[in-house]
Amino acid sequence: MTILIVMIPLSILLLIGAGVAFFWAVDNDQFDDMETPGLLPLLDNPQPSDLAPSATPEQAP
Amino acid sequence: MNTASGCWHCGEPLPAGEVVQVTIDGATHPVCCHGCRAAAEWIEQLGLADYYRLRSQPAVRPADPAEAARSRAAWTRPEMARHVVREFGEGSREAIMLIEGVRCSACVWLIERALGALSGVSSVQVNASARRARVVWRKSECSLAQVLETLARTGYRALPLDAAALDDARKRESRAALKGLIVAGFGAMQAMMYASGLYLGAFDGVDTSTRDLLRWFGLLVATPVVFYAARPFFAGAVRSLRARALGMDVPVALAIALIYAASLIEALRGGAEVYFDSVSMFVFFLLVGRYLEMRARHRAGDLSDALARLTPVYAERVGADGALERVGVSELRTGDRVHVGEGSGVPADGALLSARCRVDEALLSGESAPVTKCCGDTLVAGSIVVEGPAQMQVEHVGADTALAGIVALVTRAAAARPRLAQAGERAAAGFVARVLMLAVLTAIGWSLIDPARAFTATLAVLVVSCPCAFALAVPAALTRAIAVLARRGVLVVRPDAIEHLAGITHVVFDKTGTLTDPGLTLDRVEVLRADERENALTLAAALARGSRHPVARALAAAATGRSMQVSDLRAVAGDGLEGVVYGRRLRLGRVDFALGGASLQAGLDDAVVLADDKGVIAAFHLCERLRSGARAAIAALVADGLTLEIASGDAASRVADVAQRLGITQWRARLRPADKLDRLATLRSAGARVMAVGDGINDAPVLAGADVAVALAAGTELAQASSDIVLAGERLDLLAEARGIARETLTILRQNQRWALGYNLLAMPFAALGFVPPWLAAIGMSASSLFVVLNALRIGRQGERSRAAGLVGSKAVA
Repeated sequence: MTILIVMIPLSILLLIGAGVAFFWAVDNDQFDDMETPGLLPLLDNPQPSDLAPSATPEQAP
Repeated sequence: MNTASGCWHCGEPLPAGEVVQVTIDGATHPVCCHGCRAAAEWIEQLGLADYYRLRSQPAVRPADPAEAARSRAAWTRPEMARHVVREFGEGSREAIMLIEGVRCSACVWLIERALGALSGVSSVQVNASARRARVVWRKSECSLAQVLETLARTGYRALPLDAAALDDARKRESRAALKGLIVAGFGAMQAMMYASGLYLGAFDGVDTSTRDLLRWFGLLVATPVVFYAARPFFAGAVRSLRARALGMDVPVALAIALIYAASLIEALRGGAEVYFDSVSMFVFFLLVGRYLEMRARHRAGDLSDALARLTPVYAERVGADGALERVGVSELRTGDRVHVGEGSGVPADGALLSARCRVDEALLSGESAPVTKCCGDTLVAGSIVVEGPAQMQVEHVGADTALAGIVALVTRAAAARPRLAQAGERAAAGFVARVLMLAVLTAIGWSLIDPARAFTATLAVLVVSCPCAFALAVPAALTRAIAVLARRGVLVVRPDAIEHLAGITHVVFDKTGTLTDPGLTLDRVEVLRADERENALTLAAALARGSRHPVARALAAAATGRSMQVSDLRAVAGDGLEGVVYGRRLRLGRVDFALGGASLQAGLDDAVVLADDKGVIAAFHLCERLRSGARAAIAALVADGLTLEIASGDAASRVADVAQRLGITQWRARLRPADKLDRLATLRSAGARVMAVGDGINDAPVLAGADVAVALAAGTELAQASSDIVLAGERLDLLAEARGIARETLTILRQNQRWALGYNLLAMPFAALGFVPPWLAAIGMSASSLFVVLNALRIGRQGERSRAAGLVGSKAVA
């Protein structure tokens, strides 16, 4: 069972890592609005012509 | 989107006559006004036309461009900007604003894109649920006025919030709760893992060193749970002890501290059992309940936001030379002359100086129709001038206004609300006191008989009688009920409302906006000239399309026929409309106006009359539109044995009409907010438990003073902030169902308490006598808590089953 002495601290390290990541996420507005960001990628139209009409030529649909 | 009959941008009905068109993505769409066209064209110019495809609700009608420009100019005044703009690092500034009209994710996307495209703006964050945006810009390239202008062109009205609001208390609370929840969750998960190793080891045999190792790791993960995640319980316990009361937090905090301390002692002295897993799970469950409750509370909004939205932030002061000057409302003084444009809010209480105007006071008095004011009449801060413009002399500012009075009334009523001391809380507190006494007795008794067993027996008493089941009995049931109700569209803001909801006897409804829609509907048409039978409504609608008056809108909406060309259309303020259709001069409006002064027909005083030069063609009788589901909701509540009553600020005839249509026998009209509160006090002193349902600002004091307050999600912020329950989707028929669930919750809650009590009475004597080994105590404790939680999960099951049965039944009938 000596392997436990390695495995358990390892799992605790992982746990602390996850906790730190979560705290960081909370502090960086990741949980403030749970609905909108999920929709944003659907709305993003990857046509560069939309935002800079003069820079790129119009693409045929 | 209703694009066939409404404006492409805002969805409002299109006016007849000249139709404004806008071309988006190669297709032409009709819009209602030039403001909407400007907004739509500008959105397309930015390449953001996808907004129209993605949005789920029509946009807000943009304000009149000239008016909007004037209001933005006010923000360039340093006295006004000073409060809302904050320096943010090198050459940057930031501001937080409350944005009105944010309705769905497409709005967030649009705002972020539109502001992001502005040169000099370095960061934009929009939070749809809080309706707030944080914007950071470089001082040299951009300004607050430009940001506001961009928002206004997109169709959103933004209100910069006071710099003090930058550190948002709600945000901090929600973040702290999330962190606590995750610490408790991770800790409980890990502690459970080590504990299962220990449990298996207890049966299969495990060497002491491995067992101790697992225990120490258990201690390691449980410590942050107790000292970090469980802090709110300790803080709450300290608070209620300071107030010399035994609140719910006291037994909870005591349980956590006792189990943790006992486990620590056991681990140190190599005793029989540790309970690090139990304490972590316990904290985690309780925190989940608290988190759900907090989310519901935050969604209902708060009082300060509501106020910020109501009062205009600037006013147009008339200088000595007659020139207009934009000033902040806080700069107004008694005696100032103020100009209020059409469509703007009245900044302070005062007397009207111009001849006449019409104001919408619906939010304040509950009166559904705009009121005509003559010179010398009082204008109230927060009401909107619908037909103007108006000049007024300021009489009361700031805290002296009627609006501030209502808010003060809300605060007072909320503070004075009789809080039923929760039965569960009292029982738990008394229980804890008794257990502690028994534990002390056990310790003394055993140390006299056999000191070696004293600690084990005392610990067994404490653990077996662990107040967990008691402490969980109430929150588990309430948490489940909150979740069940939320799924049905009933948002519980204050959990104790569930207990009160089950015991109500009276329901007091507000009329305008609660039982009725804000709009009017055509009740019946009285045609007085037989040859015009077909045409009367079409003619009236043709005239009405040119006006935004609620009566005109109702007529325009009722007409289904083709539209006719109207020329020479003229609106006479306060009286009606006049125009030429097919060469005939028609008048639509009050009877004396339509007939050109002389009223010959009797009985048409309340009606809208259409007349030409030869006399009356038809009379249109309008009535308020009942909210859909209102009738069913009333019937269900009456069937439940409740006494219903309407308390309204509106005119008696209108209230009587609605009451009669809904079958409510008791009603009171022309009540001011304070009168409503008096009525409530009368009812309550007669022993009634009152639920108030409302939506307006004038309802807020009543809501705050009722046993259970229900606000509609579409209602004003102030009403929602002072309510216990918010009905999403404006479905009144949910009320009866919510009451059913509340009753069920109360039954389950009592069952849980009885179970916890019974279990404890049974187990404690054995523990005190030393018959219960610690591991059995631990199992007993877990099982009793588990029973309480599982029992709570039954709430709402019955409703779902009967609902499914009802569906099958109705299908069979069909």
